[in-house]
Amino acid sequence: MRLTYLGLKGELIKKGAEAELYKVTFLGLPAILKRRVPKPYRARELDEYIRRTRTAHEVTMMLHARACGVPVPAIYDVDPDEGVIVMEYIPGPTLRELTSRGVDVKPIFRLVGFYVGRMHRGQVVHGDLTPANIVVPEAEKPFFVDFGLSERTGELEALGTDVHLMLRALESTHYLKVKELFNSFLEGYREVMGARAEEVFKKVLEIRRRGRYVEERRAKVR
Amino acid sequence: MPRVAVLGIESTAHTFGCGVALDDGRILSNVNSTYTPKVGGIHPRESSQHHSSVAPQVVRRALEEAGLSFEEIDAIAVTLGPGLGPCLRVGATIARALSIVHGKPLVPVNHAVAHIEIAKLATGLEDPLIVFVSGGNTIIASYSDGRYRFFGETLDLALGNMLDSFAREAGLPHPGGPKVEELAQRGTKLLRLPYIVKGQDISLSGLLTAAIKLLKEGCRLEDLCYSVQEYAFDMLAEVAERALAYTEKKELVLTGGVARNRELQRKLRIVAEEHGASFGVVPPELAGDNGAMIAWTGALAYKHGVVVEVEKSYVKPRWRLDEVDVPWVEG
Repeated sequence: MRLTYLGLKGELIKKGAEAELYKVTFLGLPAILKRRVPKPYRARELDEYIRRTRTAHEVTMMLHARACGVPVPAIYDVDPDEGVIVMEYIPGPTLRELTSRGVDVKPIFRLVGFYVGRMHRGQVVHGDLTPANIVVPEAEKPFFVDFGLSERTGELEALGTDVHLMLRALESTHYLKVKELFNSFLEGYREVMGARAEEVFKKVLEIRRRGRYVEERRAKVR
Repeated sequence: MPRVAVLGIESTAHTFGCGVALDDGRILSNVNSTYTPKVGGIHPRESSQHHSSVAPQVVRRALEEAGLSFEEIDAIAVTLGPGLGPCLRVGATIARALSIVHGKPLVPVNHAVAHIEIAKLATGLEDPLIVFVSGGNTIIASYSDGRYRFFGETLDLALGNMLDSFAREAGLPHPGGPKVEELAQRGTKLLRLPYIVKGQDISLSGLLTAAIKLLKEGCRLEDLCYSVQEYAFDMLAEVAERALAYTEKKELVLTGGVARNRELQRKLRIVAEEHGASFGVVPPELAGDNGAMIAWTGALAYKHGVVVEVEKSYVKPRWRLDEVDVPWVEG
C-alpha cells in the first residue's frame, strides 16, 4: 500500500491495531509517518474524537518523555485532524522480536526498567508498555514508541498499571522467561525510583489480585 | 480408545445445567434451568436453593434426552469454578454423589475453559483469539504453552454485569442486557461517557456511574442504552483488535452469554475482517451457562487423564483461566 500525504510518498511498513506506519522521507530525513485510521466499527463522532485527541496527546507526551531523558523518536510534524504524526525513523527490531529470537535481552530489560523509571519520576505513564512498543537499534539504548494511551500523572495506581502491563505482556508471549526478564526490568527501575519502586511493585501485586477470580491473597508473582 | 460419553454438570451462577457429550464432538443433550430473581440481581443463596430443587429432574432429563443410562456414561464432569460458592457447591455435591454411587471418575472443569471449548467446537475454529463476555467475565485470551493465557480483561465490572446493573437502575427486568440491546436500536444520540482503555484492559465502572448519573438527569433511555453499548463495545473491540494485531492469530471467536448481542457481534466481525481473521460466534443455545459445555470439556479432559479424587474435589470460586492446564489443545 502506498500513501501520499502533503507531498510525502511512503510505503506501508506496519499495520498496527489502531494506526498504520509508513516509511517516508521528510526534508531529506528518513522518517515514520503514523496515521490513526478511522475504525469502521466505531460511531463516527466517537471515532473522530478518539483519533484527534490521541494524536495530539501522543505528541505532547512524547515531548514530555524526551524532556525526562527517555529515548523517544523526535517529532517532525503533526496534524491532529488527519490523525497524522511524522517522526524520526529508528531502525531496528522491537524488543518483542528480539526476545523471541533467543537473544540475551536481560541487559536491555534492565535499561527499559531504567528509562521507565525516568518516565515515571517525571510523571509520564506510557499506558501501553509492552515489548512490542520498544524499538532496539543495534548496540543502542531502547527507544519507546506509541504514547497514544499515555497519561500525565504520578499516581501510584497509574505507575502500577504501567508496570503490571509489562509483566502481563511478558506472561502472555514470553511465558518461559518471565521471571528473569521482569527481575532485570525491576533492577533498572529501582535504580531510578529508589524506595518508591517498592511501593509501585506492591501496587502491581494489588492490581493483580484485583483482577477477577485471582486466587485470593496470593502473596507473590510467579 | 472407544467412544467416551461424559455427563457434565454446571451450577456456577444462575443456571443449573446438565448435558451429555461424546468425545467425537456430538452433544447428545443439554438441559438447563435458570433462576430468575424477582427483584435485584442474583442472590447466591436463593440461586443455590433453586439449583438444589431442580437438580434431580434436570439430570434425569439430560440422560433421557441423550438416550443413555448411567451404565453407559464413562465419567461425570463438573464445574468447580470460578463462580459463586454456594451455587458451585450444589453442582459439586451432586457430581460427587453420582461419581460415588455409580462408580464413575470425576472430572474437574473450569467454567471459562468450558465456554471456550464449546465455542471452538461449535464454530470449528481451532486456535482463535477468544473474547469471552458474560455476566461474570470479560476476558480476552488465547492459547500459548499449554494454557489459555490472558491478553486483557476488565479491571472492574464484567460486561454483562455492567449492562444488567444499568438496566436495573433504569427499571428494566433481569437479565437487563437483552432489553438494553433492544432499546439501543432506537437510540439516535451519542452521549459523552468515559472511554477507558488501559493498555490491554478496559474499565467499565466509570461508564456505569456516568450512565446512571445521566439517567437521573433525565436523558432519553434509548439514547443512553445506545451510548452505553457503543462505548463499552468499542472499548472491547479496541482491545480485541490490539490483541489480534499482537498475537497475530488468524481466528477470532466470541463466546459467553453476552455473545448473543448482535451489535457486539457486528463490531467484532469488522475487527476480524480488518485483520484478515475468520470470525465465529457461539450459537445462542450454547452462549449462556449450560451443561453441554461442561460435558464436552469434560470429555476432552477425561481423554487426557484429567480426573480428581472426590475427597479433593473442592470448589474454587476464584479459579483463574490461566491456572488450568489444557493438554488436549495442540499448540
